[in-house]
Amino acid sequence: MATIEERVKAVTARVLRLNPDDIKPEHHFARDLGAESIQSVELVANFEEEFGIEMDEDAALSVSTVGEAVKFIAEVCKQQGVSA
Amino acid sequence: MTEIAKANNTKISFPLIDRTEPNLLEETFNYSLPPLIRFDGPIVEYIDGKPVTFDPQTLKTRDLVITDTTFRDGQQSRPPYTIEQMVHIYDLLSKLGGPNGIIRQTEFFLYTKNDRETLDRCRALGHRYPECTGWIRANTMDDFRLVQEAGLAETGMLTSCSDYHIFNKLKFKSRKECMDRYCQVVDAAFEAGIRPRCHLEDVTRADIEGFVLPFVERLMRMSEQVPDHLSVKIRLCDTMGFGLSYPGVELPRSIPKLVYKLHREVGVPSERLEWHGHNDFHKVHINGATAWLYGCDALNTTLFGFGERTGNPPLEAAVFEYIALRGELSGIRTELITELADYMRSIGMPIPDNYPFVGRCFNTTSAGIHAGGLRQDERIYNIFDTTALLGRPPRVAITDKTGADGVTLWVNEFFGLKGADRISKIKVHKLARWVMDQYEVHGRLTAISDQELEAKTRELLPELWAKFRG
Repeated sequence: MATIEERVKAVTARVLRLNPDDIKPEHHFARDLGAESIQSVELVANFEEEFGIEMDEDAALSVSTVGEAVKFIAEVCKQQGVSA
Repeated sequence: MTEIAKANNTKISFPLIDRTEPNLLEETFNYSLPPLIRFDGPIVEYIDGKPVTFDPQTLKTRDLVITDTTFRDGQQSRPPYTIEQMVHIYDLLSKLGGPNGIIRQTEFFLYTKNDRETLDRCRALGHRYPECTGWIRANTMDDFRLVQEAGLAETGMLTSCSDYHIFNKLKFKSRKECMDRYCQVVDAAFEAGIRPRCHLEDVTRADIEGFVLPFVERLMRMSEQVPDHLSVKIRLCDTMGFGLSYPGVELPRSIPKLVYKLHREVGVPSERLEWHGHNDFHKVHINGATAWLYGCDALNTTLFGFGERTGNPPLEAAVFEYIALRGELSGIRTELITELADYMRSIGMPIPDNYPFVGRCFNTTSAGIHAGGLRQDERIYNIFDTTALLGRPPRVAITDKTGADGVTLWVNEFFGLKGADRISKIKVHKLARWVMDQYEVHGRLTAISDQELEAKTRELLPELWAKFRG
């Protein structure tokens, strides 16, 4: 089964139309991966769908790097009793 | 450096007053009313080289009123209204002005059968306000017969006072001949038992010391000979929009000085002074409010400013100015302004989309960053509670600048969601993406209509549609 990091990278690659292998944990969504405002919203929506969770909008949109997203999603999954 | 510049060189330091809670200045911006106009001291104007003090607190106690000339000056800018249209507008004006008669009077032509029938039908509605007055040219004494037959207690009459009018238009041989003629007409009004309201046409281009003040002084003397209810009223007509509100401006263009001279030096009571402006220099509303401020109780207006050439002080703007100066609604029903605008559109009077208070987009934002602010707290980008006062919630126009925040606001407004029920932008990302693609992928150049968005909401957000519209 894929790890949270692999799934986050897969979603990010699909939304931003990138190669998943080119995405690193330290990459900043906007600065390094080119995410525009609407794509940030789409990323959060797709993460929710991928993991079956609900995220606080402001908190989720304040996450800036891939690595932070992995930690944030892991924490939300834990809080909401979702196995990831 | 000039002496004035030296005297004003009073630089001081301003340390930050740190806070952790916002100070929203709600004593002024309380949102349930238009922002209040609050004065923190007297107003000083230099007149004839001497400082003269005006107390703005009198605005709260004087009987400030709005008068209307939609059917007279307003009708000079368009094809005639039908009788039914005027009766309906009159009815709405009465409801708008409320039981205290903040919209105190409106004036009617009296020359045609239709003019007279309109007046009769408006009065048949039985409203106390606006009081119906007449407007006559008063070139002949027969005009007073019209006013008498109509049973009106007051009429406006032309008493043009600039030399442009006295000599070049009316062809009087001298100012004295002109003044004598005007006073004859006023006498005729007295004899007919009609209160004359002298319209000092072109006063902002007149010789104030040489003609206006002597003429009005004579009118005041004549008024002393008749009962109070016949005493002459004075309408200051800024016929070409030349009036200026700034302190320090010279006569005849200075509104503060004009009002001061007539009110305090000639002795025309505030309640018998009225300002009538025109918008040729985009100053029409503030000029009217300035006349109020300096001692003129009545502000003459037209609905949405429709009037001769560039128009008159907009009535609805005067309504909000009144509320802002008084700090209370005083019985005014502001929601009627929206109804009046809808009615005027329905009879073919165009109102620009960006026109304050009633234009289709007056409280619509299309910038995403503004829509984001609106989404968090509508007070950030809405002038006052437009939902309560005008029945017009703040809106967003959907364009390429709107962003997900604006689309989210539109969806929440569309479904009428409040408080915790309001949905986040994460839930509307498909609709936001469709909007962006309209511009980025398909090269669209027009705003997206509500109808289009409604259809796309149904298609792309079926769960929300089923929950709130199903």
